[in-house]
Amino acid sequence: MTVSRRRLLGSGLAAFAGLLGARSIALGAPATARAAAPGGAGTGVAPADAAPAGYVPSDHRWGMVVDTVSCIGCGRCVEACKLENHVPMDPEYNRTWVELHVIAQDGSVIVAAPDGGIDGYSAEAVAALGLSESIRQAYFVPRLCMQCDNSPCTSICPVGATFRTEDGVVLVDDERCIGCGFCVVACPYGARYIVPAGGEMPNGYPGVADKCTFCYHRTTRGLLPACAEVCPVEARIFGDLKDESSPVSAVLRDRRTQVMKPEAGTKPRVYYLGLEAEVG
Amino acid sequence: MIVEVGGRPVHVGPRAAWDAAKVEVAAQSRPLRLWLGLLTVLCLIGAVGAVLAIAPGWEVFGTTPTVEWGLLIIAYVFFAVTTSGLCLASSLGTVFGIEMFTPLEKRHAVLAVLSLVTAFGIIALDLHFPLRLMFGMVLSPSPTSPMWWMGVLYGIYLCFLLTEVWSMFTGRYQVHQVACVLASIMAILAPTTLGAVFGVLVARSYWFGAFTPPSMLVAALMSGTALLGIVFYCVVRFQLRGHQRAAALAIPAIRLLMTIVILVSVFLTVVQVIGGLYGSVPGVADATLSYLVGPLALPFWILRVILGLLVPLALLLLPRTRTPAGVFAASCLAFMGLFVDRVVFVLAGQIAPTTASSGVVSDPWATYVPSFVEVSITVGGIAFIALAYTLAERFLDMGEHGGHVGFFRLKAPTYHAAGDEH
Repeated sequence: MTVSRRRLLGSGLAAFAGLLGARSIALGAPATARAAAPGGAGTGVAPADAAPAGYVPSDHRWGMVVDTVSCIGCGRCVEACKLENHVPMDPEYNRTWVELHVIAQDGSVIVAAPDGGIDGYSAEAVAALGLSESIRQAYFVPRLCMQCDNSPCTSICPVGATFRTEDGVVLVDDERCIGCGFCVVACPYGARYIVPAGGEMPNGYPGVADKCTFCYHRTTRGLLPACAEVCPVEARIFGDLKDESSPVSAVLRDRRTQVMKPEAGTKPRVYYLGLEAEVG
Repeated sequence: MIVEVGGRPVHVGPRAAWDAAKVEVAAQSRPLRLWLGLLTVLCLIGAVGAVLAIAPGWEVFGTTPTVEWGLLIIAYVFFAVTTSGLCLASSLGTVFGIEMFTPLEKRHAVLAVLSLVTAFGIIALDLHFPLRLMFGMVLSPSPTSPMWWMGVLYGIYLCFLLTEVWSMFTGRYQVHQVACVLASIMAILAPTTLGAVFGVLVARSYWFGAFTPPSMLVAALMSGTALLGIVFYCVVRFQLRGHQRAAALAIPAIRLLMTIVILVSVFLTVVQVIGGLYGSVPGVADATLSYLVGPLALPFWILRVILGLLVPLALLLLPRTRTPAGVFAASCLAFMGLFVDRVVFVLAGQIAPTTASSGVVSDPWATYVPSFVEVSITVGGIAFIALAYTLAERFLDMGEHGGHVGFFRLKAPTYHAAGDEH
């Protein structure tokens, strides 16, 4: 059997074109967007707690503004998230956490988040960090999944287990996830982890990727995410971006907001107020 | 149970197998017995690690949300690129018909299969749900994911490799010829896609970019060539089948190929360091500093640069060490150096975090210590390849069929001076 060199090169070029085509499809159409089946799996929460019957995802577009000026670093949001979603109590695993950002007089930025900030930042806790006295500015930065419109995690998942819903929330189908960790290393915001065995588990079993779902089981029922619900200073403003009268739309319209790592091109839908500087 | 093989009754069963094993062991020389015994023990340790990794209910890996990819991913990458490198090295003979690279191709192919099977085994143990991957790749394909493509291409590659081995040992030379070409194409595509798994991650500036896939290809060629250097020396040293051919052709070919690959690797390393330090790009500069002066400096400078690149290069170039033993020493060092290089590559991209991961701020570097399970599986993987290959040498006919002409039938051009008679 003989194969001509031209034919061989042709096959190689066709394969290369296929690779390029796959990326083009991803850029051209949000192939990963789909509706979370009401009452079905794929929400990162128990199936019974998923979107209720009658909920129309395409009618909504969820977003959040985090006000770093208002945040007092009490850590109640971290605790509420863990309790609401059965996130492991181990401080290494968080769906949301609160960082303390300190900008020194020389412009250097120091970031700390002892135990994910769950216990708040008391004077003793801040003193224990051993920060220098030449502080120019300091503020708290609540962190969570940015629910990116152009999310790296959804495009790189080898089995399509992580996906974006029509209402713009990135979820993990825990019955499909293989636990490869690709999405964990792909997230520019460090917002994911693989559920460890032994403690609390959001889906009841370990080994799958987990992340903030904007408390999808609550928000699709007209409730606020747990973190926004318990915030004493309303530093987390959550709402429907399609509803122009919603508080989140009003803030985005009237205030100057910014997103984290805009250079990554991920188009986050978690916006920040008063973010002066961030770590790398 | 008794079955008839070639007209002769053969006892089959645990008892018969045990008796046959005793006869086999008794017939072996003492060094070989020790070698096989050592490998068996290491394989058993690896098996213990594998069982612990499979058993649910506890965390057995040292990975964290910050360093999610640990030793098992490193080992997978290492064996996956090695299998490709073996095929790439042999393709110079099997595909392009360059006489110098044709010898001992059965050994290339057997090693490539063993290396790829080991890589698959390791990644299956690292994944929490490997069966979901197998079904998910078919039932819910994700063509935007380089990892999906990697799985597909390495899967196809394994099929071509198995066809290559089967046709080689059964004398189906035409099938073998086609299988060699197809396997060689896959040997380029698969590690390139493996490089893309890292190269598309915008979150990891050190891995991100077009540099990573081709450098993975060079790593493949390095590890494949080094492993062949080790094996070919053993063929010569222990006078195994084809040792004259190994001494006359294979070892000089490896010496030439490895010299070229080491020089290319040195060049790429220098370019990567210069590029990493310029501009102080967050993530890239941090990662570069992590192996130049940070926690990865010792393995990088000592094991990768000095022992993994410079010493092998000296051994290959100095007249006094241009011997089969010199090639063997250079191969061992380069093989080890390449493993360390994969360690540095995978860890440097993670220990210099560009953000807090899952609420953990790593300052200045994230830490990762592999667990017993991870180490035992990796060591077990290496031992499995060595054990299975030793048994292949013992029981398979590694003699060459000699009918290979190469797909492109390249021959060295012959020049004639004016006036010569043709």
